[in-house]
Amino acid sequence: MVPISYRRSSQFLISIARRLFESLLTAWAAVTFTFLALRMSAGDPVGVLLSRGLASPADADALRIQLGLNRPLATQYVDFLSGLPGGDLGQSLYTSRPVADIILEQLPYTLALAGLALVITLVLSVFLGIGAAWWQRKPVGRMLQSVSGTAIALPVIFVGTLVLWAFRAIVTSGFLHLPPTGFQLFIPALVLGFSNSGGIAWTLQAGIQENMQAPFFLAARARGVRNGLPLLWHALKPALPPAVSLFALEASFLFTGTVVTETIFARPGLGRLLVQSILDGDFPVAQGLVVVAAFVYTVSLGLADICSYFLDPRIGREV
Amino acid sequence: MIRRILAIIWLSTILAVAAAAPLLTVYDPVQPAGGALESPSAIHPLGTDNLGRDVFSRLVYGSRMSLVMAGMAGAIAVVFGSLLGSWSAVSRRQVDAVLTWSGNVLLSIPGLLLAMLFVASLGTGALTVTLAVGISAVPGYMRVARTLMKQIRQEEYILAAEAIGASSLRIAWRHIIPNARPRLQVLATTQLAWSFVNTTTLSFLGFAGDPSTPEWGAMLNTGRGFLLQAPHLALIPGLAISLTILALHALGTTSRSHTTI
Repeated sequence: MVPISYRRSSQFLISIARRLFESLLTAWAAVTFTFLALRMSAGDPVGVLLSRGLASPADADALRIQLGLNRPLATQYVDFLSGLPGGDLGQSLYTSRPVADIILEQLPYTLALAGLALVITLVLSVFLGIGAAWWQRKPVGRMLQSVSGTAIALPVIFVGTLVLWAFRAIVTSGFLHLPPTGFQLFIPALVLGFSNSGGIAWTLQAGIQENMQAPFFLAARARGVRNGLPLLWHALKPALPPAVSLFALEASFLFTGTVVTETIFARPGLGRLLVQSILDGDFPVAQGLVVVAAFVYTVSLGLADICSYFLDPRIGREV
Repeated sequence: MIRRILAIIWLSTILAVAAAAPLLTVYDPVQPAGGALESPSAIHPLGTDNLGRDVFSRLVYGSRMSLVMAGMAGAIAVVFGSLLGSWSAVSRRQVDAVLTWSGNVLLSIPGLLLAMLFVASLGTGALTVTLAVGISAVPGYMRVARTLMKQIRQEEYILAAEAIGASSLRIAWRHIIPNARPRLQVLATTQLAWSFVNTTTLSFLGFAGDPSTPEWGAMLNTGRGFLLQAPHLALIPGLAISLTILALHALGTTSRSHTTI
């Protein structure tokens, strides 16, 4: 553990505050980039409605004024940024509903899927990573390693379709009765959790294997630390910080994962909303979703770094 | 070693198939050639899809689109990523800081999401998907290239070259680039695998425009609607995508063990 004196020292607090500030700064830059990327697009957003015959030129002008698109870019940007803390993300081009409401409405579906997937990722990656490292010379270990390798390499679009097909076939054959909720939630979460677990499992495995060759591990053995869990813990603990960072990374990657799984399993949620808003050209909704995702992503990465300060005292001191 | 050989066999097969597509197929990939959802038979070796188009023809022609999209996206990432990365590594501290920070900002948006942002900005279509996947992978490649070049610049043989008065251009051309190449090649292979994943995924999601154009990701998406009646419609393109990605990964990891990154 981190020495108490160090954890309380102001230097430590400063490094945490600095990391938080950094992640907020990055989040701001990412939000700005999203805003600019969508404004700099070849055609203006309302033009999409025009080209699809969904609005007359007069309607389009009215809509431009309503959305404030006729104003200078800088004014739009200031308005957009000042709306963010209050949760104002603009309104949909099609339904004129506030984007924040639309997102909140779809959020529970994605949260349920992503939450369950995260638990599955955690369990699977810990099992696969530790197992593969501990039994590295046995066939079991190699098998576990190739399972996580498969999880990394196989694209979610294929794994998802394969699993969907298998379960549809099983259910229609009447062999197994699955409650519809289980089918709607558990199976997509399983696909997502499995796909995300590979990378973490490999990191964990590589870390443990490296630590098992380090002098401190030999010292622990020499001191007579019992083989099995106590010895495993010596190799595992220093391997945790990178795995935790990667886990946070995967947690925020879950959003892109849900884009695909929600489409495959025809589930409602934010991912589907994003795909649909891009296909429809509903730019305020797409912008709102990317902004929220970028924000969640950067902040959770920052938090993961702070977690690793606690897990490995060496990291905090280097900052 | 076996993995490497299998990977090379698979990749050269699909490259050959893509090149020789008109010689291998009888039916037009976009015109109906029989009844809808026919099972595999002697006439249609992989059956027909929901619009009666020959699946084998679509698979063969689809390899062209999938490979070109992924290849171009990968090339964009590798070329611009290594250019920006080496620029960042050799320039003054302020320039380096600005480039690194901009890269980190872009990296703070997950790759597929960034690509989708570009699609939202540029509009749907095969070309924009390719550009979007390529551009969104540049910052990641740039970061790795920069770290690599920085490492090499600190080596003693660079110092030795500087000491005997070699020009910076000569140092870059004779020392840094040759030493960075093997590792950059490995990264390029992995990059190609990710480009393949992302382009097929975006086209699966319907961003590549006209769904009648044969492309593996779009074929998988179409087949998804007919999983029970005709599972091969989705599973065959899905398998083709997965094998290609596995092969690219296998090539990347085995050559890594040869060059010890």
